[in-house]
Amino acid sequence: MSDAYGDHKPKFFTRWLFSTNHKDIGTLYLVFSILGGLIGGYLSFMMRMELMEPGMQYFASPHKFSMFASMHGLLMIFFMVMPAVIGGFGNWFVPLMIGAPDMAFPRMNNLSFWLLPVALICLIASMFVPGGPSGNGFAGGWVMYPPLSTSGHPGPAFDFVIIGLLAAGFSSIFGAINFITTIFNMRAPGMTMHKMPLLAWGVLVTSWLLLLSLPVLAASLIMLFTDRNAGTGFFDPAMGGDPVMFQHLFWFFGHPEVYIMVLPAFGIISHIVSTFSRKPIFGYLGMAYAMVAIGVVGFVVWAHHMFTVGMDVDLKAYFMAATMIIAVPTGIKIFSWLATMWGGSIRMTIPMMWAQAFIFMFVIGGVTGVHMASAGLDTSIHDTYYIVSHFHYVLALGAVFAMFAGFTYWFGKMSGYLYNKWLAAVHFWLFFIGVNLIFFPQHFLGLQGMPRRYVDYPAEFAFWNKVSSIGAMVTLVGVIFFLLWILEAFLVKRKAGDNYWGEEANTLEWTLSSPPPFHQFSVLPKIK
Amino acid sequence: MAQVRKHNANRKVVLSLSATTLVMLGLGFASKPLYDTFCRVTGYGGTTRVAEQMSEVVTEREIKVRFDANVASNLGWTFKPDEVAMTVKLGQNALAYYTATNDTKYPIVGTASYNVSPIKAAPYFSKLECFCFTEQRLEPGETVTMPVLFFVDPEMENDKRLDEIKTITLSYTFHRVENPTDGAVRAEQRQAQIDKLEAIDLDVPEKDETQINQQGRG
Repeated sequence: MSDAYGDHKPKFFTRWLFSTNHKDIGTLYLVFSILGGLIGGYLSFMMRMELMEPGMQYFASPHKFSMFASMHGLLMIFFMVMPAVIGGFGNWFVPLMIGAPDMAFPRMNNLSFWLLPVALICLIASMFVPGGPSGNGFAGGWVMYPPLSTSGHPGPAFDFVIIGLLAAGFSSIFGAINFITTIFNMRAPGMTMHKMPLLAWGVLVTSWLLLLSLPVLAASLIMLFTDRNAGTGFFDPAMGGDPVMFQHLFWFFGHPEVYIMVLPAFGIISHIVSTFSRKPIFGYLGMAYAMVAIGVVGFVVWAHHMFTVGMDVDLKAYFMAATMIIAVPTGIKIFSWLATMWGGSIRMTIPMMWAQAFIFMFVIGGVTGVHMASAGLDTSIHDTYYIVSHFHYVLALGAVFAMFAGFTYWFGKMSGYLYNKWLAAVHFWLFFIGVNLIFFPQHFLGLQGMPRRYVDYPAEFAFWNKVSSIGAMVTLVGVIFFLLWILEAFLVKRKAGDNYWGEEANTLEWTLSSPPPFHQFSVLPKIK
Repeated sequence: MAQVRKHNANRKVVLSLSATTLVMLGLGFASKPLYDTFCRVTGYGGTTRVAEQMSEVVTEREIKVRFDANVASNLGWTFKPDEVAMTVKLGQNALAYYTATNDTKYPIVGTASYNVSPIKAAPYFSKLECFCFTEQRLEPGETVTMPVLFFVDPEMENDKRLDEIKTITLSYTFHRVENPTDGAVRAEQRQAQIDKLEAIDLDVPEKDETQINQQGRG
């Protein structure tokens, strides 16, 4: 498949710093995501260690603990999940799957990636400069509600956060424009929208959500910035502003954001479930339009994050009903995965294990999501560990498991090497047991009324917190095995064939060599 | 040729996508005036109405109005309602007073934000005259009395959702004004305003004199 021109690679610095090649940029995104995940993971591990026992052990002040919690959230969302599912797998496989030689705007692609390290440096720097009255860094949570983020944090730390998030936001907006243009204009002949692989559908819907929601976040961040530095009063009641308006703006972005993280993951899981059930995906069109439906409805449910701000009962009833409706398209996806496996000849390979675990945990997170959509129940469990458990089940376990599933599925295709199955299986089992130990007990803590974001707690919450912290240690060992199997694969160099999963893996990337040639599809493939 | 066509197609998509981005960015900023208008029109978030004319209809239904007062932590005022609560009939014009003292050694200009709960009652709570409409200037140690003239709209009777409402709470929070305008109300203007309000005949024609004067200040 490769030709002389196709494998002409630039020298190291030109190749990686000035990269315009979608596969190289995808690789950069994946490496960046692992780095972001390790930093974000370190922050959460320290939080879990602190919470292992009642009292304060490792943190000098509650401010520092809250700062760790805030930065953990921002890093994991903007610098781990988004770079991996959109930048990493999207860049690598959307052009390959739709039969395109590259992305529509390769230089803008480079800009999208290199804005991220700048953003990450801003966020890391914020942790070391004065923030609140009692310490360095920004401790107002990833939601950044004023007045805590305005008059509550007079130091420059939060300004660093704002600039970092604006950079990350514009990186994603450029990326979204790039993906939509690529998918609209660069599909190979015969690749109609209704034949397009589901990962491409997931990335397409996600890109629309990014395009519509991120500018609103950018606007609200700029308003926070001017409230802090230019004497405006958008969110200051003393000047006729309203802090609740910030919450509306934030969640208008924040709710679509959770689908931004999970829709590409849905696409990845669909490919893996189909490949290892040796069946085409059940209800392809239903799967594609379920994602579109989730994206559309996802824009009109935001205030379910704010049931306790003092909202009219009718408004609560609307947001509650709209939120619960999302369970319908999500249910279509879950049942279609099950129907794909039903009667299939299932092979329990490593990616399939991750995918099955994804479905299992996404259902748990989805069910607790429907609980909390109920405004009455939410009033009682709002801001407790129940919500922490819920969103970690759908994101930390859901999206992250899909990322590991995709990584183990395509690792051979991307690197050209096969990994050691035993090491990868140990990684899976430790991670699976570890994260469930962390987050399942948090349901009980939440129902018992333990509030989130606190450094300390009364002794009656001690038992389940201890279990949860032990889970964090198990997960840490799992992460070490993750790094180990990558290292081992690159050291041992077992060559991967073009299509090492067999003929059921039938999207276009499997027609190319592993790794694919530097430039592919100089003759566009024809799709029947 | 194909190259040119692709180029144009890309340009079209990029232009419309960039326009979408800019529109959403603009909507983000426009949300401030849109949100204010929305709150005023719908009473969302407990935003009360400002009425131009006094109510002319009184119904039999009684409602308890509670008064709540708060100050921002950096203000240095004491601020309290003169009465904790009063009972009014729907449509009855009523006058309530708050008292504020400047506990510091320098003059301070403050402004009050306000809302009503339960929130769904806000569209029916109409203020004719209120100290919260203007900035208030208090000299060091000065104590002042500030009036609110309001009525609960009799239209509330027709709203089934409000049938169970027996109490409405009117809440104020005084904030410091960092850059006061010249228009801040001072002692002499305030007294003139109170005199004017007390001269108004709160009595609504016909029925029920017993209710009308009991909530008057003095």
